[in-house]
Amino acid sequence: MTTTQSSLVRTFEDERYAWTRTRTTRHRAVLAQAALFTVLVAGTLVAASTEEGWTTPYFVLWTAGMLLFIPLHSLLNLGIRGVFDRARPSLDEHQQRMREHSHARVGWPASALTLLAWSGGVLLAAGTGHTALALCLGALLWFVAGLLPYWHLAWTLPDEEDAEADEALPA
Amino acid sequence: MGRQPRTDADRVHDRIAVLRAERRVSRRELADGVGVHPQTIGYLERGEYSPSLALALRIARFFDLPVEAVFSLDPLPAIGSELLRRNP
Repeated sequence: MTTTQSSLVRTFEDERYAWTRTRTTRHRAVLAQAALFTVLVAGTLVAASTEEGWTTPYFVLWTAGMLLFIPLHSLLNLGIRGVFDRARPSLDEHQQRMREHSHARVGWPASALTLLAWSGGVLLAAGTGHTALALCLGALLWFVAGLLPYWHLAWTLPDEEDAEADEALPA
Repeated sequence: MGRQPRTDADRVHDRIAVLRAERRVSRRELADGVGVHPQTIGYLERGEYSPSLALALRIARFFDLPVEAVFSLDPLPAIGSELLRRNP
């Protein structure tokens, strides 16, 4: 394991971020990211429907969206202990299983979104002539396709339990 | 690698919670002892995850018990009722 990787693992396992690992916080992070990308896709389509295409307000929207994505994704990643971004040896068998399960569950939607990213981008460029906006639309949809496993895992994970607990469950 | 049980028949039952309480072992101590994340112990105890053979053997070795004393394909009876049956 590299130094960078081990510090990344330490961050994801840091108990100071235990508050991010509740079901409510994870759900809010997923909804916030989904809302952010909906706004960005809608903004791209609105901008493409105008004569000017790429304008200063759109550039501001794009930049603000990308900047907002960084803390939102950090929050989401902390909530799922970064299982998609950590090296496989740092995960135990159950964490690896969760990662594979979420990838498998969103396989078809992710493929459909990737197809939509290509076809939507090509159609937008062909229909409006705004190549930069078509690239932005394709990139956004392709990005969302990559985020689907994160959203699935964050949405389905239950609240975590206290690791120091020594009380027994009923036999 | 283990898996999530899809049906009751698919489930592996265990006595991990009882053994932990009996030996005063926390989830973290057991997890460190068998090389998994503490949350994974919780998934095992709640029956939401069936362990791999290697993990089941490591957990049995941690408690110094045969694997069939810790894990079973059938629901495990309470330890008290088993003792009563052996020593009526």
